[in-house]
Amino acid sequence: MARVQRYPDGSRVPPWDRAVDLTKEPAPVPEPAVTPVPEDLRRTIEAYMSKYPDRRSAVIPSLAAAQRHYGWCSPEALDQVAAVMRLTPAYVESIATFYDMFETEPKPAHDVYVCTNISCSLLGADELFEHFIETLGDEGDFNIRAFECMGACDIGPMASVDGVYVGPLELDDVAAIANDVRDGRPVLSRKQLAHRAAADPGAAVPVPDPDTMAAGPPMPPERGRGEATSPEDEP
Amino acid sequence: MTKLLFANIDEPDLNTIDVYRRHGGYEALPKALKMSRDEVQAQLESSELRGRGGAGFSMGKKVSFLPHGAMDKYLVCNADESEPGAFKDRELIQKNPHQLIEGLIIGAYAADVNRSFIYIRGEYQYQADILDAAVKQAEAAGYLGERILGSDHTLSLVVHRGAGAYICGEETALLDSLEGKRGNPRLKPPFPANQGLYQGPTLVNNVETLSNVPHIIRMGAKAWAEHGVQNSTGTKVVSVSGCVRNPGNFEIELGIPTRDLIMGLAGGPREGCTIKFFFPGGSSSPVLTAEEGLDIPYDFDSMAKAGSMLGSGSIIVVDDTVPVVEVAKKVAKFYAHESCGKCSPCREGTNWTVKMLERVDTGEATPMDLDIIASVQDQIIGHCLCVLGDSMAMPIGSLVRKFRAEFEEHIERAREARGMGVTVPEPEPVGIAGADPDVGPY
Amino acid sequence: MPRPSPKEITFTIDGLEVKATEGEMLVDAAKHGDVEIPVFCYEPKLGQPVGACRMCLVEVEGIPKLQTGCSTPVKDGMVVHTQTERVHDAQKAVVEFLLVNHPLDCPVCDKGGECPLQDITFGWGAGTSRFIEPKRHFRKPLEISPLIAIDRERCILCYRCVRYSQEIAEDYQLVLHDRGAHSFVGTFDGHPYVAPFSGNIIELCPVGALTSTAYRFRARPWDVETAGSVCTLCAAQCNVSLTVRDDKVSRVMVRDHAEVDDGWLCDKGRFAYQAFHVDERITEPLVREGDELRPASWDRAIATAAAGLARAGRHTAALVGGQATNEDGFLLQRFLREGLEAHDLDSRLGAQLPVELHRALAAPALQASVPDLEFAHAVLVLETELMDDAAILDLRIRKGIRRHNMRLAVASSRPSALDPAAEQVVRFAPGGVGRFLYALANGDHALSDWLGDAGQDVVIVWGERMGGAPGGADALRALLNVAGNLKLGEREGAGLLAIPAVTNGRGLREAGVLPNAGPGLKAPVADGRGAPEIAAALADGDLRALYLLGADPLVSYPGRGAWAKALDRATTVVAHAGVLTQGIREHADVVFPSEVYAEKNGTVVHPDGRVQRVRQAIAHVGGVRPEWQVIADVARAAGFDLGVLTSAMATKQLFAAVPFYAGLTAEGLAGHGVRWPAGDGAAKAPEADLGPFTLEAPGPEPAPTHGQLRLGSWRSLWAAPEVRISPSLQFLHPGSSVELAPDDARRLGIEDGVPVEVAQNGTSLRGRAALRSAVPAGSVFVSDETAILTGALVEVRRA
Repeated sequence: MARVQRYPDGSRVPPWDRAVDLTKEPAPVPEPAVTPVPEDLRRTIEAYMSKYPDRRSAVIPSLAAAQRHYGWCSPEALDQVAAVMRLTPAYVESIATFYDMFETEPKPAHDVYVCTNISCSLLGADELFEHFIETLGDEGDFNIRAFECMGACDIGPMASVDGVYVGPLELDDVAAIANDVRDGRPVLSRKQLAHRAAADPGAAVPVPDPDTMAAGPPMPPERGRGEATSPEDEP
Repeated sequence: MTKLLFANIDEPDLNTIDVYRRHGGYEALPKALKMSRDEVQAQLESSELRGRGGAGFSMGKKVSFLPHGAMDKYLVCNADESEPGAFKDRELIQKNPHQLIEGLIIGAYAADVNRSFIYIRGEYQYQADILDAAVKQAEAAGYLGERILGSDHTLSLVVHRGAGAYICGEETALLDSLEGKRGNPRLKPPFPANQGLYQGPTLVNNVETLSNVPHIIRMGAKAWAEHGVQNSTGTKVVSVSGCVRNPGNFEIELGIPTRDLIMGLAGGPREGCTIKFFFPGGSSSPVLTAEEGLDIPYDFDSMAKAGSMLGSGSIIVVDDTVPVVEVAKKVAKFYAHESCGKCSPCREGTNWTVKMLERVDTGEATPMDLDIIASVQDQIIGHCLCVLGDSMAMPIGSLVRKFRAEFEEHIERAREARGMGVTVPEPEPVGIAGADPDVGPY
Repeated sequence: MPRPSPKEITFTIDGLEVKATEGEMLVDAAKHGDVEIPVFCYEPKLGQPVGACRMCLVEVEGIPKLQTGCSTPVKDGMVVHTQTERVHDAQKAVVEFLLVNHPLDCPVCDKGGECPLQDITFGWGAGTSRFIEPKRHFRKPLEISPLIAIDRERCILCYRCVRYSQEIAEDYQLVLHDRGAHSFVGTFDGHPYVAPFSGNIIELCPVGALTSTAYRFRARPWDVETAGSVCTLCAAQCNVSLTVRDDKVSRVMVRDHAEVDDGWLCDKGRFAYQAFHVDERITEPLVREGDELRPASWDRAIATAAAGLARAGRHTAALVGGQATNEDGFLLQRFLREGLEAHDLDSRLGAQLPVELHRALAAPALQASVPDLEFAHAVLVLETELMDDAAILDLRIRKGIRRHNMRLAVASSRPSALDPAAEQVVRFAPGGVGRFLYALANGDHALSDWLGDAGQDVVIVWGERMGGAPGGADALRALLNVAGNLKLGEREGAGLLAIPAVTNGRGLREAGVLPNAGPGLKAPVADGRGAPEIAAALADGDLRALYLLGADPLVSYPGRGAWAKALDRATTVVAHAGVLTQGIREHADVVFPSEVYAEKNGTVVHPDGRVQRVRQAIAHVGGVRPEWQVIADVARAAGFDLGVLTSAMATKQLFAAVPFYAGLTAEGLAGHGVRWPAGDGAAKAPEADLGPFTLEAPGPEPAPTHGQLRLGSWRSLWAAPEVRISPSLQFLHPGSSVELAPDDARRLGIEDGVPVEVAQNGTSLRGRAALRSAVPAGSVFVSDETAILTGALVEVRRA
């Protein structure tokens, strides 16, 4: 007798999308009087809005700011962005779900985007990604995602750890990355893209002036976790 | 060849305005401001600089398409480099942002544009921070803002970060994304030159294209055009990656043999491997086998004649250790993931192709499926709203065509491994985590 | 603003030379040559084409790539091919792609039989699909609102519903989520899609993805009959197409009149048809025995009513409202004036206005039409919330702003849904419209300059309720002065548009249901009392009988306290009602069942002067008789023969009695109606003095003391008995809501959502507090379903 797989509700199809809750009110533009927004987040969003001729253009940077503030694009975060920008939260949610970098589910604090696109996968990125998942997937502080080409094929296979590009990675580097992040050190500094010279042999590398000798190209700025930055720091 | 874009690229602090100026930076800008707008545009056009973002359209002509007159016009620099295999703009922005900024200001002057934006992809966080700092320096030095260097030109520059979508590299989708909507491409016509950002005339240019502008003005169009070959003037920064010893960005003169790039500058294949095929213009270009492609000159026309395209100038090399089916699956999955979903052929066609290729890999396909895959690619080409559909259909189509034998062999082996003979088997119920099996008829 | 002037061009399609209008899209132009180009995402009502579905690809000579016919405008000399192999391959490809993820639901799908996907697959598809992979699955169907079900598997992502929600209704609640093949249509975080115009997406959806839960599984297209009529549930009078099965209305759809509703319906019009067939509806006459209303025979009811009215004689008054047609009102006023020699009748809710003002406001020169709202240079919305009073006009104004750069100013006491779209927003205190208009007429207001500079075509949309409020006549004179200053009478595309409080307010006025005007706004035999005076006279005993034709003073008239006394004192109350509302239930002596608009034959007049025909679509339910017939029977039993035996005769009498209806016939009205201000009748409009009038300076604003707030009120779109008894719409029935400004609420210690009491001189009413930052400090707004508070100042406190 053929076995038919079923789900708890008796259906044969997976219930992976959400139904609408009819007890809720519809969600128009949030009423400012009943939608409190943290003051620093509001100031950040308003600073973004002032830079563009049409305030709607600020929705991507504002969502990024809200995600930094709350850790993910929660319904509360979306509602607040919508309240400050005078849009409906549905509109803001449709933007958030379109782009890869906005997380609409709660996520661990540190982002590790492992490139699994063609150039990196030719060099073993799929195995690297599997290893990341096995090693750090259940730890709870690393959000490990297979990502599309991040424009660093010269250091493939690579990963972007909290925005810092590191590569070419070997399987052993995974543990080192985790330790660096947890201890608050710069991630895998010997393999950071920021420190890498151009591959082009003809690119003139001048003799460094001893008086102004710097220790290589500039280090990437450290980003705070979870706090909204002030408008002066924000681009 | 003397480098133009990559000159002094690894000089420490080249991304600061002082070091940039020490190497001759911001000399082209005052020179351009002394010329009339039409003269600058004429220089750009006579240089025959072709867009470096993939479309290869004459930049000078594009500038001339913008209507004249007092109205809100915009210049948008497309720094949303998401093409797999392309990482040239990243290096240019990271190491020499002022080159881009100077080129952007000159381009804005030529087009009589007062508001400009740089749309940089969200993943380039470090590079965007560098760009922000450079823009601040340029503003402080008076190269941006009101009455630049005493001329009548005003320009504001906003750096806008994306949030991870390949489709936003398409110019109309980029404009929609910049306007704060979902990144869906628009119908063309109307073209961005007439109705672009906020429905105003807009000029959209790639990072590398704009980075060439200071050199054109500085050297003069004629001297600049002496680099390269006819119809493909100038230098090109080519990203080579994949199964090569020395992946990276290389600035070359257009027209050199592709062999010099792959075997020479990039060091050729790794120990013990031979090159099977390569993508000459990023993963969106039809593939060329090693026999066909290595001796073709690397320029727009030659690549087009060979049935492929130069695109953004990114070479991905695949050697004989990699099964073709793997490559096809990877490439198809990328486009299926990045399709915006607006038009039916791309949305459903990419999805369908991925599913068929997966079946090919797991041994549930037959050679007839290869015909269907090829037919689906033909059904996509030319019918979509933007080029993303074509960008998948062309490489996949070329792979299936040129490596048909390898595909069929893969199908055979996979079917044997699965224990499937030539008869069509009963589909097994797919095991899904968390499901309770139910015994009995439904 | 000048309307687009069509220029004719010739182009070739499939070898045929066809004439078309320049700039028309190829898909529309091809129809002139009988060539059909299939489309899914193209819907001209939604504005600019998007070219998303790729179904309409055709070959245009001179362009190498196939072009989408929906976005290619025709040019003179264009050559188009739709029957080449290339085009056929493309069409088959697109159909195959669309069916890749589409489930084979036709047998259980409501759309089957009227489904464009079925038709296009059959007509342009390849016949088979080569797709054997698993399709994408969603839970289905889900309710996306209590009215609409969504089946995401069937969705072909044509984008129409999302574009509608974002660009037409502008509520931005329905959006696309995710990307690529994972895209789906949804709302924010599980909130339902509830908006006054949400039902239109059911008609827009080309497949069975969005379906009406009320119509689910009720009928197939070949089982039903369609009949066209006019919805009379609000003053917008949209044209509808009723889907009738077994003599029951099972669905209401649009009948697309470009000059009335523009092809949209509000949810009340779309779903309130359920009220036609519910048990709560009165379908037999009722006569009061003791304390109760008991069913009675028609003979007994008519006899009782006639006896009571005849006894009262000229001490009879009448109130006409609700959904009464012109004929009903006309015959009733004839009965009263000619039969009973009674002169106290009114169709308006507030104090009488001088008849000269009525004539001035009805002047054809000053009349703006509905399309003018779209094409004007500027529109001023004055003291009316269009979303509540004439919902469909709200969409028309948004269309004008979006497509024709029309400029909007809103001047009202209560924040309006159009505020975000308006360039200028003026807020005055409740009751302050007279002061505002006085300043505007004298050029003392900032808005005067704005209106002067906005352009030549200015339309002022104003709510008739303001005319009935204290100081209303002065306010209207000021309004006429403003119209004169702006020279609105001299231009075709400019003018005034009055939004009445009842559906057929304009028609009833023109039919003569006014205390100081007869049919055609001529002087009546004698002047009578208006509604508030009728209430006072009934309470005093000067009037004894009351005829209520579709009106219940305890529900919809201001001054509820006075009306309660009046109804108590009245000796005979005869009412026409569909639902037993409070006033009818407690005081009526005879109740005749009201018709619904699907059973009616008659005419109504749109606020812009369009006389429209209401046509019967279903047989009368239960024992319901035509209301014109009931009036005629009661009149005959009371000794007066109205001379009508059929509804056609009633219409003819009406047209003969009103001079400016000259040339109109019932057949001539046909399905589209005729605007008399633009036709032959305009010349026969009554003489009117259009001003300028000398204006008296209005008195000072009432000064609030001790934390009192100024009271304003509004009537929600959903505050109708039809909504209350329609099962699907009951969730929309508004509770009593009290809108406060956040500062006032904080001062009074009131949070959002708590029960509050609004009190004035001993009377109070309860409601739920709603904090709105748009409400100006010092004002409070109460939904006026029970208009028991009459003064200007109230106290608000926690209940």
